[in-house]
Amino acid sequence: MLVGLLMLGGGAVAGGFGSLLGLGGGVLIVPLLTLGFGLPLREAVGVSLICVIMTSSAAAGVYLERHVANLRLGMTLELFTAIGALVGGSIAFLLSERLLSVLFAVLLLYVAVTMARGQRAEPDLDPDLAGPPTLHSDPGGSLTALERLSGDGYRVRNLGRGVVGAAGAGVASALLGIGGGIIKVPLMHLAMGVPLRVATATSNMMIGITAAASAVIYIIHGGIDPYVAGPTGIGVFLGATAGSRVSHRIDLRYLRLLFVVVLTYTAVQLLVRVVS
Amino acid sequence: MTTDRVVTATAADVSAHRAAAAERLIGRLLIAVTYVAVGLLAIGVVLMVAAGISPLSEGPPLDLATLGAQLLAGEPAAFLWLGLMTVVAAPIGRVIVAAVAYARDGDWLMVGISLGILAVMAVGVGSALTVTV
Repeated sequence: MLVGLLMLGGGAVAGGFGSLLGLGGGVLIVPLLTLGFGLPLREAVGVSLICVIMTSSAAAGVYLERHVANLRLGMTLELFTAIGALVGGSIAFLLSERLLSVLFAVLLLYVAVTMARGQRAEPDLDPDLAGPPTLHSDPGGSLTALERLSGDGYRVRNLGRGVVGAAGAGVASALLGIGGGIIKVPLMHLAMGVPLRVATATSNMMIGITAAASAVIYIIHGGIDPYVAGPTGIGVFLGATAGSRVSHRIDLRYLRLLFVVVLTYTAVQLLVRVVS
Repeated sequence: MTTDRVVTATAADVSAHRAAAAERLIGRLLIAVTYVAVGLLAIGVVLMVAAGISPLSEGPPLDLATLGAQLLAGEPAAFLWLGLMTVVAAPIGRVIVAAVAYARDGDWLMVGISLGILAVMAVGVGSALTVTV
């Protein structure tokens, strides 16, 4: 009972933090389950993928209803994140726990450094933003592929780079149990010319398919424990929902600083565990 | 000439209207399915607590053949697995609905991309089953 409550509470904290800072929460769920509850890293990654899909689906639903996400661009890139996730999900069961732990620690340090520099993509979505629908078709058939992926006021560029980056994000997601937004948002915004709020919303929508592609493999391989995924998933969902409602009332500067410290400490703990 | 423009504009308007409706439908579907999944997981967790099962005790693997019977018997793991499968099904369902919407709009490139995503998912399931078996 107590362990279940702790998992639910820990999931809520991870989901809340993730929501407030624009992350899927995967970077916190995996360390929570491995360092906090002693679960093998691969099992923690599987549970994290489930949690990431839950938060992504709920958020993506709202973004699509309000026409913030670019469905057409997201689905095009999703094809390649799904391929990446398929590859990542398959090799995840071949890699040693030690190597996965080192990779995860490197990811945490990368996120911490990026946040500390203040260069991370901000989740500055305006919930009331209503843009044009992106499922629009081309009745005359006169638009080019890039024009058809573009939205109102912006033109998508560097599709090739986006495709390669999306595949890489899929591999990272499957190996480390993260949504991959840390890769996809800067990729779409900086390399492909997509406005930040559209990139954030589109990335959030894409996370569902990316994580689902590898979650299926984890389920079939017995890499997800329902007794762990249940309470943690509910906690993450509640935390993410609460986080999105109070985000405008919280000064994120101090929270981000705290998060940098937590991520760095967690990375060090993971590396210490690998060494010892 | 003018008539052509009017016809094209009308076709574009109809298309945009249909697109907006499809995005709203997909959005609502995602939200609804997520809430259903959370509800199933919550039932599973309550049954788990009532049965005194610790989350750290190893959970049973997914067994589709007996899932229905387990649900009827009120097994916590069955509700949890159904909830987890619903979670995974939500984004897949979104792709299927989008594919149908694109097909209605005659956008065959996007239909192909949607089917490509579903094919990749199917390959993942197939390969994982082959390796496991």
